[in-house]
Amino acid sequence: MAATRPSSFCGSSDHTIDRRGFLGTIAAGASAFAADMTALEVLKTPAVAADLKNKGKRVILLWLAGGSSQLETWDPKPGAPTGGPFRSIPTSVPSVRISELMPRMAARMDRTCIIRSLNTKIGDHGGGARLMMQGRRDDPSVRYPDMGAVLAHELGRADSRVPDYVTFYSATEGRGMAPGTPGFLGERYAPMSLTTETVPANLRKLDTIEDIDHQQRAELRDLLSRRFERDRSLSGALGSHNVAYERVRGLMASESLFDIRREPQAVRDRYGPTQFGEQALVARRLIEAGVPFVRVARAWWDSHGQNFETHQEMVPELDHVMAILLDDLAERGLLQDTLVITLAEFGRTPEINPSLGRDHFASAWSATLSGAGVKGGAVYGKTDANGRSVVDGQVGPAELFATIYQALGIDHEKQYMVGSRPVPLTDAGTEPVTAVLA
Amino acid sequence: MRIRGKAIAIVGIMLGASNPASMGGELLPADRPIAEAVDYYVDEAIHREGIQPAPTADDTTMIRRLTLDLAGRIPTNAEAQDFVGSSDSGKIVALVDRLLNSPGYVRHQTAELDELLMAGRRDHLRDYLTRSVSVNRPWDRIFRELMLPDESETLGKMAASYLKPQIKDADRLTADVSSTFFGVNISCAQCHDHPLVEDWKQDHFYGMKAFFERTTLLGKSKDGFLAERGFGTSRFKTTEGVERPARMMFLSGRKATEPEATRDATEEEKKLDKARFEKSQKDKAPPAPPRFSARAKLVELSLSPEDRGFFARAIVNRIWARLFGRGLVMPMDQMHSANPPSHPELLDWLARDTIAHGYDLKRLIRGMVLSHAYARESRWSGKGEPPRPSLFAVAALRPMTLEQLAASLRIATTDPSTLPDDQKSAELDRRIETIVQQGSPIAEALRSAGDGQIGVAEALLFSNGKRMDEDLLSDRDGRLLGRMLKLSSPDEQVTIAVRNIFGREPDPDERTALRKYLGLRTDRPAEACRQVVWALLTSPEFRFNH
Repeated sequence: MAATRPSSFCGSSDHTIDRRGFLGTIAAGASAFAADMTALEVLKTPAVAADLKNKGKRVILLWLAGGSSQLETWDPKPGAPTGGPFRSIPTSVPSVRISELMPRMAARMDRTCIIRSLNTKIGDHGGGARLMMQGRRDDPSVRYPDMGAVLAHELGRADSRVPDYVTFYSATEGRGMAPGTPGFLGERYAPMSLTTETVPANLRKLDTIEDIDHQQRAELRDLLSRRFERDRSLSGALGSHNVAYERVRGLMASESLFDIRREPQAVRDRYGPTQFGEQALVARRLIEAGVPFVRVARAWWDSHGQNFETHQEMVPELDHVMAILLDDLAERGLLQDTLVITLAEFGRTPEINPSLGRDHFASAWSATLSGAGVKGGAVYGKTDANGRSVVDGQVGPAELFATIYQALGIDHEKQYMVGSRPVPLTDAGTEPVTAVLA
Repeated sequence: MRIRGKAIAIVGIMLGASNPASMGGELLPADRPIAEAVDYYVDEAIHREGIQPAPTADDTTMIRRLTLDLAGRIPTNAEAQDFVGSSDSGKIVALVDRLLNSPGYVRHQTAELDELLMAGRRDHLRDYLTRSVSVNRPWDRIFRELMLPDESETLGKMAASYLKPQIKDADRLTADVSSTFFGVNISCAQCHDHPLVEDWKQDHFYGMKAFFERTTLLGKSKDGFLAERGFGTSRFKTTEGVERPARMMFLSGRKATEPEATRDATEEEKKLDKARFEKSQKDKAPPAPPRFSARAKLVELSLSPEDRGFFARAIVNRIWARLFGRGLVMPMDQMHSANPPSHPELLDWLARDTIAHGYDLKRLIRGMVLSHAYARESRWSGKGEPPRPSLFAVAALRPMTLEQLAASLRIATTDPSTLPDDQKSAELDRRIETIVQQGSPIAEALRSAGDGQIGVAEALLFSNGKRMDEDLLSDRDGRLLGRMLKLSSPDEQVTIAVRNIFGREPDPDERTALRKYLGLRTDRPAEACRQVVWALLTSPEFRFNH
């Protein structure tokens, strides 16, 4: 990618995927200035061309919370002792087979690439979720932004009137373990988070105030602020405070994007009446309107018992929603600029436990990338005959993130300055999986 | 990039701070008041730059700043007027002492320490901290109790909430403890020797980790007990791929030398540990500590006269940052030889003073807020660009924490005539604490909307949130709006609103603008008042500690 590589902060090449990079740090403490955008500037890197390339790129992340089974989806092992009861079926790509639970995606395999060789090492829900949302391990002293915040920052516009990071997580299971986090990018890039509600919290004006008063009291607030701002710098939290209030009215205007009743009935019928389907439809509406990053979480895949019943119920829904989403995006001419990702905190053990469940498993599992910047139909990496370990093309979180950034035309070596310390998008020395990039 | 020569000099001072005997005549005498030392060193740096610092803030600003910093809330307007109207030359000291001995101090200091120790985690330490802060438990004792909680008694059970949830991830715990208590981020050294900072080698990371690696959890987090093996060593792989034993070693490089710390466990010793753990599980009681405890060794080494500089400097820096908007060392977990403090002698003096006075945090806070450096205006009306923040020549603008904000919103929207008249009475303190307690649903709403960060989620919450509308803009008896609606003149309404929310008189321009706003809405006076209150509550003058 970039001809001249920015040197890593450590100057050390020995941070591999399972190691924590030495990265910048922000004062822990209570002080809110830690999350202040003023501490942050993007280093000029020689990736101007790449920056031009990412215009209009969008991402929908289908987050399979709790950990879906790779064996019942993208990496089936029929006949193996670990294989379970489901068969595999051929797909539209010769020689690529996926679980029989996914006939619709099998027919659309040429749009999707599968990475079957994730080895991410963290096997608890919270740690795994943070790892796979941030692309690296937590550091107690630096607050990393997650994928959504980075992409909102990279792909969105600072003056955007639409939200730039929206996340749906309706189920209660595991919700607190995978919160969206803007980290050092600051609250400007915090997700607009939807849990039980279908429209983001506090977007709709209350009935207790007329619209004109709502607007004019905000103007009155501005007037009072200006008196306070005299002889004070606006570059810090004071500026962020004003920007936040300035964005309120614009964001309120985006409320209709969350209303699927504005879609023709035929379109709603295609996505289906499920919550997952409806949220995927809202996601499409949002990215169509220019929102750069939407995550739709479907929970709860954590099948320690009755793995096969769980997957028999949930995989066909994923198959349906994902297939329709890709079709809809393609028909609207959006798929070439939209990357659809399926990802979870980890996969599930090949071993079937006595409760006919599969447990947490982070050493050989799968994710998919479809649409923008990726080679449809490609399959990367390989697990052994029983799915116990990666035998070819091991990919860690950093490599996966570098691949996602590259697919979107973002230089994965780009650096943010956090205070005086450069923090690269992915840890130094990370290579993207070029085999799946278009 | 390596600055070895300089590093040695700074390390010299650093170790000196832990050992008053070695200080010689370099620092101001130890018997000076904290405030005097602060001003001596801060002013010296300002004068070196040839700058005139910002003037002292007025009384209205000072009582607001002090009440927020010491009691976690804004003052009531009556408190403010009482203070401003007093001609007592010792009124600042009197105010500081009253606040430090109020229930508000315990509440606020507990919240601040909980944030320092537990930030970003789901658990909290408030039960333990409330009890500790109420008796002004010294910081070294808090550290000792968190590292070595005695789970057979109530307080120890509470203190165990620090270690228990994170004991399973020794890497993270090591980095967390080093950063929180010693101001040192050694996570880089997990992978390799630190390339820029000579101080930190892989041996430091694994040396620190070795103090925790013997500890495990018997049973599930909530019901289980911490249990520490008395024997056993671990190994780590260096960047060259060589396996090395991880020797228990403090950040200073000092190692535990006891035989139990340095050699592998014998079969006999393994059995002893196992028997101790099994007995604990059978008795459903915490296991007895081992004869040699690695965690106790960490406490011993880190608080020893030779090495306590790390511990003392880290807490001084954090308290300073809380009160002055930035640390003497920034970032606060990068206290190493390549990242010198803005005021090295001041940090050393304060660390020495803190050690000499038994890590008394209340005393430290009191000393800092009585300095002139703390009392400057946060506006810069001097010539040219404002001086760099690390000079502390102008006060920093600090966003209120979520707790400060929630508490202050409730105070600001309370009908002032419902509060007791005596501004220094215990009755007032009790009333205030009740009002603050009633702010907990607001704190909850703020927490779910951006966790008290200055972001759009908070702006949307204030703009359209039902909770904010119904609570803060309630016109029930006892609330500010209820009071305003009983007043007949718009001028009185404006005055009481600005006084209650900003703690000062409205200036002429404000009065005109607010009266005009009300005047355009004579058909809906109640709504107009609600909107005025909203605009004042959401303005930066309210949102920041200035």
